[in-house]
Amino acid sequence: MSDQTQTDTGLPGKFMQQMVSLDYRVLASPLQQRFDAGMRAGRITGHKCPVCSRVYVPPKGYCPLDTVATTEEHEVDVGDEGIVTSFTVLTPIQYRGQRERQPYALASLLLDGASSTVGQQRIAGPIEDVRTGMRVRAAWKPEAERTAEVSAMAQWGIGKAIEHWEPTGDPDAARDHYAEHIL
Amino acid sequence: MAERCAVVGIGQTKHAKVREDLSMAGLVREAALRALEDAEMTFADIDAVVVGKAPDPFEGVMMPELYLADALGGAGKPVMRVHTAGSVGGSTAVLATHLVQSGQFERVLTVAFEKQSEGDTTWGLGGGRSGSVGAGGYFAPHIRAYIERSNAPEHIGWMVAVKDRKNALKNPYAHLHMENLTLEMVRDSPMVWEPVRRFESCPTSDGAAAMVLGSERVGDASSTPVAWVHATAVRSELGQFPGRDPVSPRGGHDCAADVYKQAGISDPIRDVDVLECYVPFSWYEPMWMENLGYAVEGTGWKLTEDGETDFGGSIPTNVSGGVLSSNPIGASGMLRFLEAALQVRGMAGEHQVDGARTAVGHAYGGAAQFFAMWVVRDTKP
Amino acid sequence: MRDVAVVAFAQSPSRPEVETTETQMLFPIITEAIEQSGIERRDIGFWVSGSCDYLAGAPFAFVSNLEATGAWPPIPESHVEMDGAWALYEAYTRLQHGDVDTALVFCSGLSSRSDLRETLAVQLDPYYLMPLWPDHISLAALQARAFLDHNGATERDMAEVAARSLRSAKDNPNAQVSGDHTAEELLGADYLVEPLRPHDCPPVSDAAAAVVLAVGDRARAVCSRPAWIRGIDTRTDPHSPGVRDLAVSPSTRLAGEKAGVHSGPVEVAELAAPFTHQELIVREALGLGDDVEINPSGGALAANPIMVSGLIRIGEAFRQINERGRNRVIAHATSGPCLQQNLVCVLEGE
Repeated sequence: MSDQTQTDTGLPGKFMQQMVSLDYRVLASPLQQRFDAGMRAGRITGHKCPVCSRVYVPPKGYCPLDTVATTEEHEVDVGDEGIVTSFTVLTPIQYRGQRERQPYALASLLLDGASSTVGQQRIAGPIEDVRTGMRVRAAWKPEAERTAEVSAMAQWGIGKAIEHWEPTGDPDAARDHYAEHIL
Repeated sequence: MAERCAVVGIGQTKHAKVREDLSMAGLVREAALRALEDAEMTFADIDAVVVGKAPDPFEGVMMPELYLADALGGAGKPVMRVHTAGSVGGSTAVLATHLVQSGQFERVLTVAFEKQSEGDTTWGLGGGRSGSVGAGGYFAPHIRAYIERSNAPEHIGWMVAVKDRKNALKNPYAHLHMENLTLEMVRDSPMVWEPVRRFESCPTSDGAAAMVLGSERVGDASSTPVAWVHATAVRSELGQFPGRDPVSPRGGHDCAADVYKQAGISDPIRDVDVLECYVPFSWYEPMWMENLGYAVEGTGWKLTEDGETDFGGSIPTNVSGGVLSSNPIGASGMLRFLEAALQVRGMAGEHQVDGARTAVGHAYGGAAQFFAMWVVRDTKP
Repeated sequence: MRDVAVVAFAQSPSRPEVETTETQMLFPIITEAIEQSGIERRDIGFWVSGSCDYLAGAPFAFVSNLEATGAWPPIPESHVEMDGAWALYEAYTRLQHGDVDTALVFCSGLSSRSDLRETLAVQLDPYYLMPLWPDHISLAALQARAFLDHNGATERDMAEVAARSLRSAKDNPNAQVSGDHTAEELLGADYLVEPLRPHDCPPVSDAAAAVVLAVGDRARAVCSRPAWIRGIDTRTDPHSPGVRDLAVSPSTRLAGEKAGVHSGPVEVAELAAPFTHQELIVREALGLGDDVEINPSGGALAANPIMVSGLIRIGEAFRQINERGRNRVIAHATSGPCLQQNLVCVLEGE
């Protein structure tokens, strides 16, 4: 129960706080480990489906549209530049465990060479400048500081090797270039 | 041919931010007992129980139907628990309907709930980790995309927010009873997930919804009017892939087409008297108007602007106050379904739409990827 | 009622720890079940799965698993937060409608990712039971004590169940643990939680499974020997271990009656009891005599992927009919503390 719902009604039978804590081990699958190794070396990789040629970043180990498995032999590199296809500016809700304090912009990015977007990427610079179609480039962390992102679910973001994304100053991408990739 | 299914009892809790007066068992029983009373039955009359709710971590109880079996008279009976994210209240009702239509059971109690005050919903919606964008943060870019595509004026979102809260005042069970909410107040409320403002967003609620579904024989024996189920459908689609349209998902469109076909609806605006659809952020009203076939692409917002989605309009929508006024997530889908049933039974009290004979209930969840719908009427299929 | 049959079954080998994601584990299993069934993926009329967010350690965990289905174009699909056996129950119900003839049921679980003795305590009444953190092994031990006192059965009887299960599991490449042990040998181990020893308890397993169902002539067209579901039922007992007699399982008995277990001879029974004493309780509840072959797969004592064990029993029952020429097999699934909820399915060859 969060601080927002704590009550003292003066009635008998008030709520008692009970913190339920469970520990889970989150394993990086072999696929994830290989992707993370690439990220630490400054490479963003994906898998290219042998049937439809779509490139999934990060790789899933399958193409969900053709339901075929993909492996290392389908691995391709994609650029560390791309287009903002959608975004929002968040005023962070202060739930327990939340570490964010100030508003920030998160965007979905279509990286050069990828077919799927990478979600929830931080965009640096003035929030009011963030717009769909804007071209951005990864600001990589120093190599020594790049750590793996291990996710228990389908990929969220592409890891902690990239600090954030910066506008490149290049002209915005034409709308029809990314219209199919709003997510 | 499937057995006919009637909605013979409906109940819900008074939804609120915190129902500190009830445990989870008490919450579901408040709704279930009201539904049973409406159906003139007791727990002993029930053959099977179907429970629905959103993720277990919202309350911190794993598989709560086990704990709640006693509270819902489940001992000695089949007890099922459906979980399809936000659409769950709807898909739960769909399973319950099928248990009757299959001829397996004559009287099924179905309950959907969420007691969000006992957990932390934003943490839960974020998969239990820091940096969660919450549901609004996920949907905000889709809303922006809709506004850009349709060139809708910015006040549409405010209008929906005002309309649904105004109508909630006619629904004693609704969580939010915001007297005198104006367009300006919505416009000036803090931005939470740009472009979505606080007053354009649903509350977080504790609440439960329940229905008693019966066979044709049970429906015929009812002393109060019943709602007959004419159609049910569910659809799921991948949440993210190149080329996906998250603004008007095909799954929603296909789900609607399926129920309309089953129910013989060829012109939704003309054939449907009341729509209860899942609008947790105000802009979803015009978006669903288009996705569900009430408006041509790009024009859904005009229905809102012209007052067509309010009482007296061509497609009264969410006259119960909708999700914008009460959002116990697991129950919200079932609330849409049961409000549709209340309308065609003529039992919606102050928020009754006169002459409502065909009503549609709709629920969605996940990355706007899970859909559940039904069509109910005052006559048998 | 329409005649519904199991026409295909696929499972991943149960392992102590699978290193891929749950979705990656599930992906080839669904594909295998579809290929085995001979039905086109696009023709499947209804999809439904079973899994548990708390097992995965993430709310909405089941959403990722949707990718393993290839849900595009959109599919009619549902999900229960229960073992796959109950997802199959929903599919069976759906197929009665008459508008679709095929369904695919799948389930998965990575039990290895948390300490089940903590996690499963969250499956209890949050006000009165969970705050005491009673783990599932201790609760099972309470039940075992009640059973031994009630029934006159002995710890040796329980050890025999384990020995038989592990021996049978040697022939099952999907089982996790197997071997030749005598009851004597097993009884030599120290108690884990008295009166339970390690052999009385299930292994912790990760696995996925999928079953394809088809109706009537469609089933006959795609499968040489379908396993027809002649009866299927599920019942529930009160939740708290303190308010019921743990030595008996009324919900199993009732589900068995409703499913019609004894409307014919039972040749084989696949029972999902994860504790040795629970197998004895379930056998008694279902009235299974010594002439019934119990758990040729090794049962849940040889592999216990939570959320999957029940569906595996139905799948193994299908294999007894489809591959081993049996005629009448029952399958059982269980959920909740101390056999609170049970499902019984009666399958027959034609």
